[in-house]
Amino acid sequence: MSDSKPLTGGGLLFEVLQQHGVEHVFGYPGGAIMPIYDALYDSNVQHFLCRHEQGAAFSAVGYARASGKVGVCLATSGPGATNLITGLADALADSIPIVAITGQVPTSAMGSDAFQEIDIFGLSLACTKHSFQVTDVNELPKVLHRAFAIALEGRQGPVLVDIPKDIQLAEVTNSIEDFSKLKNKVKLPPANVGRALALLSQAKQPVLYVGGGVGMANALDELRTFSEITGIPSVSTLKGLGAVNPDDEYYMGMLGMHGTKAANIAVQECDLLIAVGARFDDRVTGKLNEFAPHAKVIHFDIDTAEINKRRAVDSAILGDLKINLPALAIPLTITAWQQQCREMKNKFSWDYNHPGETIFAPAVLKEISDKMPENSCVTTDVGQHQMWSAQHMLFDDPRNFLTSGGMGTMGFGIPAAIGAQVSRPTDCIIAVSGDGSFMMNVQELSTIKRFQLPVKIVLIDNAKLGMVRQWQDLFFNGRLSETDLSDNPDFVMLATAFDIKAKQITQKDQVSAAIDEMLDHDGPYLLQVKIDAKDNVWPLVPPNTANDKMMEST
Amino acid sequence: MNSYQLTIKVDDKQVVLERILQVTRYRGFLISGINAEVNTGTHIGTIELMVRSERPITLLVDQINKLIDIKEVKVDNSITT
Repeated sequence: MSDSKPLTGGGLLFEVLQQHGVEHVFGYPGGAIMPIYDALYDSNVQHFLCRHEQGAAFSAVGYARASGKVGVCLATSGPGATNLITGLADALADSIPIVAITGQVPTSAMGSDAFQEIDIFGLSLACTKHSFQVTDVNELPKVLHRAFAIALEGRQGPVLVDIPKDIQLAEVTNSIEDFSKLKNKVKLPPANVGRALALLSQAKQPVLYVGGGVGMANALDELRTFSEITGIPSVSTLKGLGAVNPDDEYYMGMLGMHGTKAANIAVQECDLLIAVGARFDDRVTGKLNEFAPHAKVIHFDIDTAEINKRRAVDSAILGDLKINLPALAIPLTITAWQQQCREMKNKFSWDYNHPGETIFAPAVLKEISDKMPENSCVTTDVGQHQMWSAQHMLFDDPRNFLTSGGMGTMGFGIPAAIGAQVSRPTDCIIAVSGDGSFMMNVQELSTIKRFQLPVKIVLIDNAKLGMVRQWQDLFFNGRLSETDLSDNPDFVMLATAFDIKAKQITQKDQVSAAIDEMLDHDGPYLLQVKIDAKDNVWPLVPPNTANDKMMEST
Repeated sequence: MNSYQLTIKVDDKQVVLERILQVTRYRGFLISGINAEVNTGTHIGTIELMVRSERPITLLVDQINKLIDIKEVKVDNSITT
């Protein structure tokens, strides 16, 4: 900001962003946010122009998830703002801290059905943790500080700040306040550690059920120490992947609808289930009243509202995992159970034999996982490729596996990879996508091109909406309704049009060399992997079924 | 179907009533009555909300408590039909 110019609402926005350490924002300009984009021109904040506001929102989500910082996105009023909504909903479902700034028509025009006017403040109620509409430029610093505090405090989440155009243009007359921490409004009751310790010491067959909250709480070390001291066998949710040391001999992988057989059987047979930053999601539990039917439950969480929401618990440990996990780390004598879990893990290990010459996606993903550099970050879209990635790739940190868990949003993977690459420019970022999901935010290839981001895209292509096709085959008598995508574009030509090097492979014997070429390439790369359209994701727990009654083939 | 009366103390902030009504509907509670007033001196609002549901009232109380501008939620358990 030049000294000769008075500070306006738009300029103040970037000053406050910089106070919060924001270096990068993702966005798309338009009429009602032009004063903010004018102020951006003088700012030190780097803006990444996306090609759709949904892409900007997902890039902010990917940035936040890969870095642990708050992601920031900008959009104009009306359609710009509504295009953010899916990203906000995704961030709410997965508890991701982002701050979305929307332009709004001038205060005098609000409520008049003005051009590009929508009540985004009203629309935000169901898809944000909190939202603000600024009515006085001198309130703007306080609102922005609170937005950042709320996004990060307790259970994290998205916050929207709607700023009318006249507020962006208005001269700031008050001095900018420093930000102070938000006081924790919810008084958490003291953790009943005594009851939990008694349950632990009585348990013969305990299982640790690890969720995304562990990574959000930065409690990986505490969790891994807890696992080592107690020796309790563990399973993970989709969003928890990476929290448990993948080399832990008693770690059985993901549980739930597409979980491993060992993980699901162990949970069904356990006598004590210790949920850590997990919320008994329906994709985890299967038929709820048959989930872990013999188990007492200890539930660690930061969110009071998750306790007893779907499963009654015997002991609730509310608060910071970094404090509460060590308080319960006691050695247990559960040798027989450990042995049983290890035997199940070995007995039900993955089989990569796949008849014929067509490429087997799980084997490709495993090979990428084995070969990718240390601290690589993988994003996915949603569908079969997502579940195969969760099953067959190994991660040592939840920040290295970014997938749309709660909302299950197709179109997440490419823009999330962009955000991840911006936040971690020297790490290898790999977006695993499907041919259906890829087309949902394909415009973001232009963002990759513009900023020459070296994102690697692995496009698992069965020319189908594969997961829906699988369900149609299994549960809708093979009536394949609207899942054929055989008229997809030529993906190699498409990538090439965005100056992205690309290759298609169709046979098993091409896989290894293609993976090496992709990982060795300095810039962005798209590897199109053609697979058999009939390949299914196994195991599968059918809807409203107990998790031990999984299907393993047709 | 159980009926409950909630007494909710709030900071008098933007759309706080709208947020409470949205959460109440989304979490599966029907509203059978409402009374709301603001103390203009303290800027604290008091909302009395009569709701009905098959679901446990703790589910709604916990979710309303999570809203940012809420100071306190009390349930009068004596009203049950």
